[in-house]
Amino acid sequence: MKKYDLLTPEGTRDLIYEECAALRNVGEKLRKIFTGHGYTEVITPGLEFFDVFNNKSRHYPQEVLYKLTDGKGRLMVMRPDSTMPIARIVGTRLRTAPMPLKLFCNQTIYRANPKESGRDDEFFQSGIEIIGGEVMRADMEALSIAAEVMQSFEVDDYRFEIGDSGFFTLLSSKLGMKEQELEDLREYVMSKNYPALDEMLAGYGDNKYAKAIGSMTRLFGGSDVFAAARAVLPEEALPILDRLERVHESLCALGMGGKITVDLGFAAKSDAYYTGIVFNGYISGYGMPVLSGGRYDRLIADFGVDTPATGFAVNENAVAAALLKRSGGMLLPAPDVMIYAEDGCIADAIVHCRKLIADGMTAEYSDLADVNASRELAKTRKCRRFDIVSETGVTSEEIG
Amino acid sequence: MAENTAIRIALTKGRLEKDTVGLFEKMGFDVTELREKGRRLILTIPGQNIEVVLAKAADVITYVGLGACDIGVVGKDTILEHGGTYFEIADLGFGRCKFALAGKKGTDFYGGVGVKTVATKYPNVTRHFFESKRMDVDIVKIEGSVELAPLLRIADGIVDIVETGTTLRENGLEVIEDVVPISARLIVNTVSMKLKKERIEELAAAMQNALA
Repeated sequence: MKKYDLLTPEGTRDLIYEECAALRNVGEKLRKIFTGHGYTEVITPGLEFFDVFNNKSRHYPQEVLYKLTDGKGRLMVMRPDSTMPIARIVGTRLRTAPMPLKLFCNQTIYRANPKESGRDDEFFQSGIEIIGGEVMRADMEALSIAAEVMQSFEVDDYRFEIGDSGFFTLLSSKLGMKEQELEDLREYVMSKNYPALDEMLAGYGDNKYAKAIGSMTRLFGGSDVFAAARAVLPEEALPILDRLERVHESLCALGMGGKITVDLGFAAKSDAYYTGIVFNGYISGYGMPVLSGGRYDRLIADFGVDTPATGFAVNENAVAAALLKRSGGMLLPAPDVMIYAEDGCIADAIVHCRKLIADGMTAEYSDLADVNASRELAKTRKCRRFDIVSETGVTSEEIG
Repeated sequence: MAENTAIRIALTKGRLEKDTVGLFEKMGFDVTELREKGRRLILTIPGQNIEVVLAKAADVITYVGLGACDIGVVGKDTILEHGGTYFEIADLGFGRCKFALAGKKGTDFYGGVGVKTVATKYPNVTRHFFESKRMDVDIVKIEGSVELAPLLRIADGIVDIVETGTTLRENGLEVIEDVVPISARLIVNTVSMKLKKERIEELAAAMQNALA
C-alpha cells in the first residue's frame, strides 16, 4: 500500500504561485547585483562524493548530510554547500585561471536538520566567492556587495553584523587546550553560554588571554565595542581590531552606519573554517541569519591550490518567506488578455495571441470549447480584456 | 521575533514559571496578570512592554529557536534533551536538581559483559552520556514513572531527574552516578540578541541582580 504518495518529505516544500514568484524575485535581484559587479555563474552537481565535504579546514558532521551510494558503492552526498564544490573547481579545472576569480552560484542546498525543527532541508542558496586578491580589498568588496544585497530587500529593519574569527583563533591558541576542550570553548563562545564559559575560563585564573575571551564574547553592538575591546585585548590581537575598525568605518562611509552591528565574540562554528572577517545579515522577523559569509583562506589549499578566498551566501527561501510575510502576500500579475477561438479559428487565435505577446502584452489562450466558460475564466484570472477570434475577425470585450 | 519595541518571553509552565514570576515581582514588575491568568496563555506585564507566553518546556526551546519569542526560561534538562540553536546567557540558579543514573540498591550496574538496558524519559541525554563513556546500551523510552522499569525487570538502570532522591529510596533504588547538574537557564534567540541587545541585556542583568 502506498503511504507517502501525496506528501513531500519533511523539510521540503512545493513553492506555489506567489511563493515561487517571491523566491524567483529574490534570485533575480541577486543575479542582477552579482553579474553587475562582473561575477560569473557556475553550476555544480547536486550530487557529489562525500570526500569533497570532508576536509581538514571544514567537514560536515555525518548527521547533517543526505547520503547515498552510487553504482560502485561509493559514498555520495546531496550538496550541503556550494563553496566546497567551487573550491574543488578552483583546485582542478580553474587552477591555471588568472586570479582573482569572481564566481557566483544560485542552486539548491541539502541539509538533514533534526526532525520537527521547522527548518528547510532543501533551499535555494545564492552567493559569491572571491578567490585570490589582496585581503583588505577583497574583504571590502565582499562586504559591500553583501551590504548591497541586504539593502536590495527594501526592508528598514535589517541588520548587518561583522566580526573577525581571528580573535578567537589567536586568543584560544594561547591557552594550551586539548582538542575537545577547545571545541567546548568554541561552542560556549558561539552560543554565548556565559555560565559555562565563565566556569571554564575560571580555571585559567588571571590569564589575560582567557580573560579576553570572556570579555570579547560579551562585546557586541555598536561602534563603542571597539574602545571597550582595546581595554581588554592583549597587544598581539590589536592589529585584528584595527583592521575590523577600518572595515567598520568604510561600511559606515557607504551609508550603512545605522544598520551595522559588531560582534567581537565570533568563533568559527565547529571547525576552524573562517580565518578572518566574518559577517551575517538579519531581517527582523526571521529567527536566523539570512546571509552569512566571511574569509576562508585555508579551504582551497585542501583542494591543491593555496589561495586566500572570501565570499557569502544568501538563503533565498528565508528571504522570500520573510518578504512575502511582510507584504501580506503579493499579487501575481494577471494576463492582460484572454483569447477564445471559435470552432475552425484555432490557428488564427494562436497567431493573434503571438501578435499581442510580440506587442509586449501578456496573452493567455483559452483551452475551453465554450465561449461563456472562457469569459468566466478571463474574469477569474483577472484579465483586463477578452478577445474572441472568429472567421470575421477579432472582437474585444473589456472586463470591468 | 516579536515586534521591535516589545520583548516576548516564554516561560516553562509550572515550577519554573512560578519561580520566574516570583523573580519578576522582586524586580518590581506588576505580576497580577501573571498570577491571575485563568486559562490565558499570552499575558502582559503592565508598563514593561513585556509579553509572557506560557508553554511546555520543549516548546519554549522551539519558540525561542524560531524567533517567535525573544527569550525563554527553561531547564537545562530540556536544553540537553532537545538541543537547538540559541544563546544560553544565564544560569538562573533556581529549579536546581540533577540527571543521575540509578539502579536497584546493591546491584553492580557496570558489572558483567552483557549490554545493559536503560529506561528513561530522556533518550538523548542517556545516549549522549553512554556515548561519552563509549559504552553500548539499549535505551527504552518510558513516559511515566521511570522508577518502575528496574522493578519490573525491563531495565538494569534508569537515567532520570533526581531532586531529593526520595522516590528512588522508597522504591529500593539508589544513585549509581551523577550525569549532569540541572538548573533554570535564560535562553535568547540569536537574532533577537543582536536586534534588541540593550533591552535583553538590561532585563537579564535585572533578573540576575534580583537573584543575588
